[in-house]
Amino acid sequence: MVRGEPGGTAADGRQPKGDTLAQLIEGMRVLDVGRNAAAPYAAKLLADYGADVIKVEHPAGDPARRAGPFLHDEPNPETSALFLHLNTNKRGITLDLATPEGQRILRRLAADADAIIEDFAPGQLEAWGIGYEALAAAHPELVLASITPFGQSGPYRDYRGSEITLQAMGGSLHSNGSAGRYPVKLGGHAAHYYAGTAAALAVMLACYRVDGGEGGDWIDLAVYETQAGSMDRRRYFLTVAAYIGYPARRQSPGSHVISGVRPTRDGYVNVAGLHRPEALLRLIGREDLLGPEGIERSAFTEPGAFLDEVEASFLAWLLQRGKREVVDEMQSRRILAGLLQTTEDLLEDEHYRSRGVWETVDHPKTGPIEYPGRQLVLSETPKAPATRAPLLSEHTAEVLVDELGADLGLTHADLPRLRAEGVI
Amino acid sequence: MAAPPPAGGAPRRLPLEGVRVATITVFWAGPHVAQLLAEWGADVVRVEPINVVQPGTRFAEHVAPPEQARELAEQGQIFVYYPDFDPGDEPWNRNSEFNAHSRNQRSMAADIMQPEGREAFLRLIEQSDVFIENNVPETIERANLTYEALREVNPRIIVLRMPAYGLDGPYKNYRAWGTHVEGMIGHHLIRSYPDETPDRMSPAFTADALSGVTGAFAVVAALRHRDRTGEGQQIEMPLAEAYLPALGEYILDYTMNGRITPQLGNRHAAHAPHGVYPTAGEDQWIAIDIASDEEFAALCGVLEAPALASDERFRTSQGRWMEAEALDAELGAYTRAHDRHELFHSLQRAGVTAAPVHDELDALASEQLAAREWFEETEYPGVGTHRYPGLLFRMANTPNRVPAPPPRLGEHSRELYLELLGYSAEEYEALEARGLAGEGYAPGLVRWPFRLKTPR
Repeated sequence: MVRGEPGGTAADGRQPKGDTLAQLIEGMRVLDVGRNAAAPYAAKLLADYGADVIKVEHPAGDPARRAGPFLHDEPNPETSALFLHLNTNKRGITLDLATPEGQRILRRLAADADAIIEDFAPGQLEAWGIGYEALAAAHPELVLASITPFGQSGPYRDYRGSEITLQAMGGSLHSNGSAGRYPVKLGGHAAHYYAGTAAALAVMLACYRVDGGEGGDWIDLAVYETQAGSMDRRRYFLTVAAYIGYPARRQSPGSHVISGVRPTRDGYVNVAGLHRPEALLRLIGREDLLGPEGIERSAFTEPGAFLDEVEASFLAWLLQRGKREVVDEMQSRRILAGLLQTTEDLLEDEHYRSRGVWETVDHPKTGPIEYPGRQLVLSETPKAPATRAPLLSEHTAEVLVDELGADLGLTHADLPRLRAEGVI
Repeated sequence: MAAPPPAGGAPRRLPLEGVRVATITVFWAGPHVAQLLAEWGADVVRVEPINVVQPGTRFAEHVAPPEQARELAEQGQIFVYYPDFDPGDEPWNRNSEFNAHSRNQRSMAADIMQPEGREAFLRLIEQSDVFIENNVPETIERANLTYEALREVNPRIIVLRMPAYGLDGPYKNYRAWGTHVEGMIGHHLIRSYPDETPDRMSPAFTADALSGVTGAFAVVAALRHRDRTGEGQQIEMPLAEAYLPALGEYILDYTMNGRITPQLGNRHAAHAPHGVYPTAGEDQWIAIDIASDEEFAALCGVLEAPALASDERFRTSQGRWMEAEALDAELGAYTRAHDRHELFHSLQRAGVTAAPVHDELDALASEQLAAREWFEETEYPGVGTHRYPGLLFRMANTPNRVPAPPPRLGEHSRELYLELLGYSAEEYEALEARGLAGEGYAPGLVRWPFRLKTPR
């Protein structure tokens, strides 16, 4: 069924509010009680597209403030690239949730929130009296997303996890790299970005259902399981293993004829010639290899003299050309191909420049610098210009006193005491 | 799973019940969006031709001979496989790739490049909330199925377009899989071995994965926005741009410091040791990540390596990081003697972040996944009973179960044409007689073994 009609009453009885929301996720309030990459990226997705996100940091700060890389390589909690990037468009307060006063304030913040995203160890929020049961009793529409290494249950529930260990156990790490060498992780925080994005999806799903008149929910997201279900090969390889009993293994370089990373005269390209072998043989002037009768495609995966000749001709052709020329010629024949670029190549690439991918964000410590600006280009709710990540505790007074002071019984005069007690 | 107890109130329905999604997707990224929406309750209708073989969907364009497939599987080269290596009579309904990402969807036969298929497709758009596609932009333009065209038919439609690089710009019509996109935006070089040329690094498809989840997030956000304002919209989400944020700190390192990120392999910006270390057995490894002096002391304790603990070079975190290569070599000599699972548990008990490197057979045997009932054991008609990957996350008060298997090619054509799209039985059967609608490829359409054309 289509939900409602333009300008009318929605089919499920909801009254459209009229076209007054300029941003995609305007009007949602979220608490980011997360650290490092996964939970903060989930909250960033919501914040960048319009949600009102309050980042709740321990007074010592999110560990991402200590991760770097730092401006001029000088460690400073306000110039860590990871933190600056992951916390745009959020307001920041500090709160020690291990203190009763911190817990009291968190409960008040939760009362106004549509969703909370957290990444403490299983059982930690409950131990502080601010677990799902306690919060939902006061606010049944609340959505709580809990991100942990292994989930809220099972024998590994209390085990530690990190980017490399969760890729190792959950994902396709074992098949990254070359046969005969050690396996290699994916770059940066790939697993935690994937998990964080999945958490943002889960929050949107649960909030969408709350809009429909149902209660909130508690999301149990294990980074380990997002890796096991990842579209980056693992879910396919798991299905294959269930079908035929064989796992993937690291391959020797060049094990896929005319496909994979290959050198050119001035750098590397990544091509998928095997996807269109006929077009590729024509491109490199070796249509003669097809023969008068044609050739079975499976010949391209059968080792032997034929493959050796195909690959030798291909390499010779590549080494006579520059990488851009190779990619352009292949793309003109609809053969999948791309360059291997550095971050410098990327930032200077005319394609991304022309699309306005980079967004300049000013900051008192770094000055204006370019950030990756957006994932989504939205026709009706274009993303608003970004505001920089909050300085540590920048909005504590604004949120706890100016906005909630009456409810919390706090005035500006109380803040030095709370600071001295380590609550904020 | 051993779920946390419900916090009260009735069990909730799946969040996307009542939402209809039309899809024309290929390979991995687009299907990932559709999969996630279908798993959480949307009525996802796959539109696919049966009069031509669409590459990259059900993989009927190339069915490998079983003997050769077995040989490649033994080498660990994994691509499309069939249960027990048997393609059966309808390999397009039995392949691992389609079946890994298409459950709880419906399949409707229509060729959007033909007038009849276009008509059926547009009738579906009238009845849909969302349309998802991840084709090369020029394909959608040629088919005249852009947002502008679809909005004429359904002003409330939400359209998600997922080109590799964008609906404009110099790379607009560049064809790519996730692995090519990752090369173009820097990920391939960053994750390559520090001491090898980048052609020694295997492909990864992380951009397919991340853009899939990001796309599903964007669709649900747009549905929510539409309920509030009555307004649909187009979401343009190139794979490249969905992945760029995952490289954020490297991009800022360049814009802030002018530094080009080198090939990092397993190296961490601050932690050492940080890597994958050999354990007993062939190609068996354990990943270890040490973030503090205490953890390093605990690691040395478990490994009974006092020499490592007292080595002056490795006394501080800075020293360990500077001497990471030497440290890795020495550590590997200790880990090699251990069983990876025994070492995993000993290290975790000592407060050290570690995990065995698991291949897919290890994952199928994982006690953690078993305890949480993560895999779904399901019978797919004509395929058999197998275990499939579970959900990316669970909700405490929601049935975390996927209702139906993947659709067989064209399986729901008749019910959709007749019950949803307003065709009469006569009209539908006329399309069927012409091979444009129905429940399988026309006989002889799938060539096996596949033979490349001779030169023209």
